[in-house]
Amino acid sequence: MSEQNFNTVPLHTPPLSVSSSSTEQNITGSWKYIQPAYHDRVAPCIAGCPTGVDIEGYMSLLRDGELSAAMELLQCENPMPAITGRVCNHPCESRCNRANYDGAVAIHAVERVLGDMILEEPLPHWTMRKHDERIAVIGSGPAGLACAYHLTRLGYNVEVFEKEEELGGMLRLGIPGYRLPREVLDSQIARYKAMGIIFHTGMRAGTDIGWPRLTTEFSAVFIASGAHVSRLLDLEGDCSRQSLRSGLDFLREVNAGGRPDIGKHALVIGGGNTAMDCARTALRLGAEVTVVYRRTRAEMPAIDEEIEDAAREGVKFEFLASPEKLSGTGGRLQLACTRMELGEPDAQGRRRPVPAGGEPLLLEADTIISAIGEDTGLHDLQAELADAKLAMNTWGCEKLARVFLGGDVAGDERTVASALGAGKRCAIYIDRQLRQQHGEDIPEERLEAIRIGGSESLSMARWTNSDPIMRVSPQNDVVQPADINTAYFPREPRHNDRHAALLKSFEESNTGITTRDALAEAARCYECGVCNECELCRIYCGEAAIQLDPGSGRFVIDLDHCKGCGVCTAECPRGALVMERLANMD
Amino acid sequence: MSQTIIKDRIPENELLMGGHLACPGCGGALAMRLVLKELGPKTIVVLPACCWSIIAGPYPQSSLKVPLYHTAFETGAAVASGIRAALDIQGQHDTNVIVWAGDGGTFDIGLQALSGAAERNEDFIYCCYDNEAYMNTGIQRSSATPWGAWTTTTPSKHPQATDKKDILAIMAAHRIPYAATASVSYPVDLVDKVKKAMSIRGTRFLHILAPCPPGWKFEDERAIDMGRMAVQSRVFPLVEVEHGTDWRFTMDPEHVPVQDYIRAQGRFRHLTDEQIGHISDAVDYRYEHLRDLAERSQAKV
Repeated sequence: MSEQNFNTVPLHTPPLSVSSSSTEQNITGSWKYIQPAYHDRVAPCIAGCPTGVDIEGYMSLLRDGELSAAMELLQCENPMPAITGRVCNHPCESRCNRANYDGAVAIHAVERVLGDMILEEPLPHWTMRKHDERIAVIGSGPAGLACAYHLTRLGYNVEVFEKEEELGGMLRLGIPGYRLPREVLDSQIARYKAMGIIFHTGMRAGTDIGWPRLTTEFSAVFIASGAHVSRLLDLEGDCSRQSLRSGLDFLREVNAGGRPDIGKHALVIGGGNTAMDCARTALRLGAEVTVVYRRTRAEMPAIDEEIEDAAREGVKFEFLASPEKLSGTGGRLQLACTRMELGEPDAQGRRRPVPAGGEPLLLEADTIISAIGEDTGLHDLQAELADAKLAMNTWGCEKLARVFLGGDVAGDERTVASALGAGKRCAIYIDRQLRQQHGEDIPEERLEAIRIGGSESLSMARWTNSDPIMRVSPQNDVVQPADINTAYFPREPRHNDRHAALLKSFEESNTGITTRDALAEAARCYECGVCNECELCRIYCGEAAIQLDPGSGRFVIDLDHCKGCGVCTAECPRGALVMERLANMD
Repeated sequence: MSQTIIKDRIPENELLMGGHLACPGCGGALAMRLVLKELGPKTIVVLPACCWSIIAGPYPQSSLKVPLYHTAFETGAAVASGIRAALDIQGQHDTNVIVWAGDGGTFDIGLQALSGAAERNEDFIYCCYDNEAYMNTGIQRSSATPWGAWTTTTPSKHPQATDKKDILAIMAAHRIPYAATASVSYPVDLVDKVKKAMSIRGTRFLHILAPCPPGWKFEDERAIDMGRMAVQSRVFPLVEVEHGTDWRFTMDPEHVPVQDYIRAQGRFRHLTDEQIGHISDAVDYRYEHLRDLAERSQAKV
């Protein structure tokens, strides 16, 4: 370059090279073969909840201090959280991804605290009675109450028919007061009455009110008559004695306020929840109690906590003993049991007990309570309905059926949670059917879309499009423990229930946890699978390719510059981001 | 730190632009982004030769929204001294001057200029983003490469035979007002240290560990995890030292075995369990020494 040329350079040009454009024009996003995407997924607790409660959703709202929104979301799916918070077998907790880290979130305890708060609150201003249709619900147990509750909230006029004089079904007759105080049940039912549900007690469907009348006066009938027939124990000897009682009748008597004299020694036969309830109730009547069960502790179908509480209170267990023969001398009963051992697993995977040989076990008692299970009486019901020429509908598929069946009677799992889920499911089926009769087209796929995590439980929030959790794109796959980045969760032990030292009292034995601890428990929730805007993805993006879109309030990924490193996905604490293969790479 | 609190502590400033030429998962690019978030737009970056000479973009592009001076390898601290002096003459005392140098430009080639500037207590922040080798020229070893590591100049049969230089102790020995280690995996600790450095006049030194997926041989998405394990295993403790004498740990996260950190990286694949045991012993020894320093500093207060 000559001196002449050098002088022609304009004066404002600086004496060194200066950048004049940004790197943003480089489409470095073309380097990648996988890309991140926000895919809200289903938390395992929700997938494991037969009621279909959006647990992760309300925990998230609680963490944000949105107490009333949390209560609304809980009530949207669960008609009786104060009750399930006490008596549910909480399969949610065994599925919790935190279980193998520092203990599952105490979901049941949080639910109970929230449920009690809900009972203190006035009834929310829900829109009700927007349809003309009347719907009959047979049975006021958890399934019937759930169906009535959801249908009422969906705008229908619901009438419940209960054959007993008091409402609640198994909640009142089967579950003892030390597990579920009557005040809690009563105030929950009072709320249903306040919602406008009409209850008829002492009315047995089929006799006090005939099936033809039910199906003509009502647009749909939901039958949730439960399982209330105690199965009979097949024993040699005289089984007609007063001292051999059916578990359900025994609970019914005591739960109604009776305090029968059962003597000093009671034997309870069976390993389910009815057996545990009988054993702890007998203990409270002053007896020494031994539970006799054919299998071992591991095969007991009762809720684990109930077995632990029974053992803690002093109930003794005689495992691998099958009652064979009853005899009695001088007021005392003698029960001869065959010693058993565990053989091959049965259809449900439980190992079948087979006689082990050897001397029989001889037990003495003043009272023997048989709690080996309950039957539904479904056969009789089917005969009755067949006489009335009625088709039954358990899955909401038959277009013309007016009679729907759910809960214990329909073969659902014998838990309160499953009954509540069945009630909700049938409420949705009935809603769909009635709306279709009005000309709305609600395809089968819509029902598929509201299934939670591929389970049988349905989401009422999704059905009514009222989900307060803003999900980007709900995917039905369930978050696994490996999807959680535990680096962001300092170890913090779970808050456990407190137990009152009220042995042999009918007062509530489990006193729950405090509100403060419940909020701390909610903060322990991983909030699996749903973005809670913690922003770690954005903070760790070395390309500055994740930004907040002020319009939608959501994160958007600048795919022109995202190189697909996957750091955002790896660092997401809760598995709400996934790496997807680019379509053009296949 | 609980994930729900982190976002509130990271400033909104976004001074790094996309389309830069860092490898996917680059710890160095993220380090710059996080440091600039705290420093803000009134910042001049002095850049001796390093990976970032490439990341900043080819002429006439720049990936930063603040002025960045490319300088010769050995001159980072000297150029920053000059820019600082010029700004001070103009009365622009509130403009931050930082040097952004790799480990080569700090531990090896730029050490003389850095030592001279620190001796004069020049008023700038010197950030060394340390990826533990000359990465952009093809993974040649530096004096920041840890013992036992593979690089292209220390192949597996003859891996790095010397220990990583203790650059923080070197800078502390200059008795500068503030020196600290930091990591992209602990962003709140990192921006807090930048903030503290900004509140101090004189030479401030930040040693930021920047995990390098291609150079250390690990999966891109584990970049943050690798930085986190470096701190958790105590291979790279997070500390700060004031005036060369007052030492303090700033983070004490849950401990993981050194083995976990070493075994996660391909550059250490040839090491035997016994050799990793030696590394672990050395890590413990240095950690004990740091703890002594911190306890002595604590006792003085």
